[in-house]
Amino acid sequence: MKIPVTITVNGKKHETEVEPRTLLVHFLRENLAMTGTHVGCDTSSCGACTVLLDGKALKSCTMLAIQADGREVTTIEGMAQDDKLHPIQQGFHEKHGLQCGFCTPGMVMTAADLLANNPKPSETEIRHALEGNFCRCTGYHNIVESIQHAAHAMNG
Amino acid sequence: MTKHEKLSKKSSNIDAPFHVTGRTKYVDDMPELQGTLFVKIFPSPVAHGQIIRLDYSKALQMPGVVAVLSEKDIPGENELGGIVKDEPMLAEQEVHFEGQPILLVIAETEDIAHHALSLIEIDIEAHPVTTDPIIAHQQGDLLHKSRTFSIGNTQEAFAKCKHVFEGTAESGGQEHVYLEPQGAYSIPQDKGGITIYSSTQGPTAVQRTVARILDMPMSQIEVDVNRIGGGFGGKEDQASPWAAMAALATYHLRKPVKLILERKEDLKMTGKRHPYKSRYKIGLDEDLNILAYEATFFQNGGAAADLSPPVLGRTLFHSTNSYDIPNVDATAHCCKTNIVPNTAFRGFGGPQGMFVIESAIHYAARQIGVTPIEIQAKNLLKENAVFPYGQIVKGCEARQCWSEAVEKYQVAALQKEVDDFNQQHAYQKKGFALMPVCFGISFTNTPMNNARALVHIYSDGSVGVNTGAVEMGQGVNTKMVQIAAQMFGLPQQRIQLNNTNTTRVANTSPSAASATADLNGKALQDAGRQLTERLHDFIRQDLNLNKNERISFKNEQVYVNEKASALSWEELIQKALAQRINLSAKGHYATPVIHFDRNKEKGHPFAYHVYGTAILTCTVDCIRGIYEFDKVQIVHDFGASMNREIDLGQIEGGLVQGMGWMTLEEIIYNEKGLLKSNSLATYKIPDIYAAPKTIDVHFLNTDTDNEAILKSKAVGEPPLMYGIGAYFAICNAVLAFNPKAKIDYVAPMTTERVLMGLYGL
Repeated sequence: MKIPVTITVNGKKHETEVEPRTLLVHFLRENLAMTGTHVGCDTSSCGACTVLLDGKALKSCTMLAIQADGREVTTIEGMAQDDKLHPIQQGFHEKHGLQCGFCTPGMVMTAADLLANNPKPSETEIRHALEGNFCRCTGYHNIVESIQHAAHAMNG
Repeated sequence: MTKHEKLSKKSSNIDAPFHVTGRTKYVDDMPELQGTLFVKIFPSPVAHGQIIRLDYSKALQMPGVVAVLSEKDIPGENELGGIVKDEPMLAEQEVHFEGQPILLVIAETEDIAHHALSLIEIDIEAHPVTTDPIIAHQQGDLLHKSRTFSIGNTQEAFAKCKHVFEGTAESGGQEHVYLEPQGAYSIPQDKGGITIYSSTQGPTAVQRTVARILDMPMSQIEVDVNRIGGGFGGKEDQASPWAAMAALATYHLRKPVKLILERKEDLKMTGKRHPYKSRYKIGLDEDLNILAYEATFFQNGGAAADLSPPVLGRTLFHSTNSYDIPNVDATAHCCKTNIVPNTAFRGFGGPQGMFVIESAIHYAARQIGVTPIEIQAKNLLKENAVFPYGQIVKGCEARQCWSEAVEKYQVAALQKEVDDFNQQHAYQKKGFALMPVCFGISFTNTPMNNARALVHIYSDGSVGVNTGAVEMGQGVNTKMVQIAAQMFGLPQQRIQLNNTNTTRVANTSPSAASATADLNGKALQDAGRQLTERLHDFIRQDLNLNKNERISFKNEQVYVNEKASALSWEELIQKALAQRINLSAKGHYATPVIHFDRNKEKGHPFAYHVYGTAILTCTVDCIRGIYEFDKVQIVHDFGASMNREIDLGQIEGGLVQGMGWMTLEEIIYNEKGLLKSNSLATYKIPDIYAAPKTIDVHFLNTDTDNEAILKSKAVGEPPLMYGIGAYFAICNAVLAFNPKAKIDYVAPMTTERVLMGLYGL
């Protein structure tokens, strides 16, 4: 049984049908072939699949696609505009806030939520925001610096 | 055009633009070809037993299921073992660990395959389970022969010692948690071969295993690796089974087949860092010189040898860490148990050896009534000392790293700060520890220390580079591009670093042992040398230059005697092609000077050593047993780092991973050998709160003559071992609260163990 849904992803409206058990992350990766959102665990522990749902960071493995019906999803693919990197993406690039890259999209999306609500976060606030995202490569320091760099850039 | 420097010290990761936009493709992100099938593995539900009945007829009848394959469907040898032939890919009559693959279900979707697993019926007669390496050793269950490294005469030396102590130490396993789980995608080719896209550190290892399983020539198996989402050793040898399983399905069904492990499957079915149980005896004279050291290591190898024998070797190579000890007997046993075969993990047995000597020193210091720092400092390696394996210490930076750390980070002031804090706080205590590290660079299996590179200069002047190096986050792609750009005087944008592919570069060693940039970078330099020599010869003819005139490439221009000529790089290439000059070259590198005699356990196994010292400071909450790391300060011997940003990232990441191993990462098997820490909800890797609040790294810039690429020393593994200091920093805080605390030298130092230590439970 499939259920009709309308989900806007990165500004583009997708009217389609999904099985009710389809997770949002699988909808993005398999139905829309948007593979920038990664699956790193089965237990909503790692945060690699983080996207924005109506602007709020969400682990897309914790939610069914049908729950996103009528809502707006932003994924990593929607961050750069006209091939110009978003300041957060620029920050991760500049400050080497990545190594293998697998956690990076989730980190960027988590940071996007943080900076939208708190444009000048303290280091402690940045660290707190990242508590649901694992990185196994960097030891986190450069990720914090990347977000600080982005915050400066976005505040002009 | 971008202005090009000779060698940019700050060259950001060339993969970063793709990582931050989600355009990077890991195996599971590849577009699926029409007709792609999916594999799920039916694993052993028990840790040891005899298969009495196995019935998969219902699974086979399920709509969408295409095939169920067992060991009987393997056309070649049902064998994964690269060192010892003791590991069937699919179980035959017996199972030896929980999660051991028995059957493969191949279906049209992953979901169908998953559901079909529940329709398989199996009866297993349970056999006794061993999870403890010492018990396995008592039972005579060994995976490989035991090894002993000796130097001097410990018996005579112990007799001369004022202080002699004996004790035990244990370190736990560690799950790699590369964030990209293992996986492979296998595609049939119309010439009869199979191409496999694999998330592996060892493309040749995958190729060899697939060829063996399928009884096909290696030449017909192509393995391609774009990049991997973390490896840490877990994908050195243990990426091969999943690739071979997918290839087996392709072999039978002639379809593209994908196998991606879910995290829970990955945790259950793949090997980890080896847990060790160890005994030691240490002897010191009255001036705190360590005169003698004995250690016996019981390595928990799991159910098959996998890479346990060489991991065991590195435990012995690093059993004395960064200390000069003239009399040593170190013996290690490779014990067979009923857990998943353990494997390579950053440090490769070295960390386990180092934990024991550091435990011995810590224990001795407490008994004598001095600080561990006094014993550590006294015994650090000196130039021309001899390692227990016979190599003479050269280019030694042990004492320089230590003394720079002590001075720069003001250890005396830190001691006072910690003491003052502890006097003022009844239920919060600080502790700190110093952790010196000396790590040998090279595969300890000498024949593996070689690499090749294939370089093409295309007619538009762009350059394609192929090596055996696998990018897994360590930044090797960036380093290869830096090297190529420097050789040809080109901006990095004109260099294309291609996928690692066994068709283009064959017989590669895995990206491991911290040696990837050295080996592949030097092979690349060799190819570059051949090409520049050919081009220089051509330019001399073309411009009528004599032998004394110097030619170089800079800013995409040919320079003669350091002055720009009228000839651009692109014109040069077009002219050279018109003159039928060969603009492709294959480079080769084999590390010189290294050798090792396995019978005598003596030789010169390492091209060079990397040194460093870390200072780790923590605060323990003495009511709840929780702790946090205030700061870690490091002086590290980078040599002449060719990319400070990338190398610094390796130090920070390695440190935190090592701290995780020592503090919160705990792998638990129950008495039946079943993995209890079987998800990321129950197995905790460091999150951002577990990372130290400050990491300060000081570059010890050394210019010693060594075999490192551009004298930029290997940096992958050494920093992990700084994490060992985390254990002792916490111990010292616990001892500040309760001087009679029983410290048992069992890692990880979880909050539970801290609490037991604090209150002497």
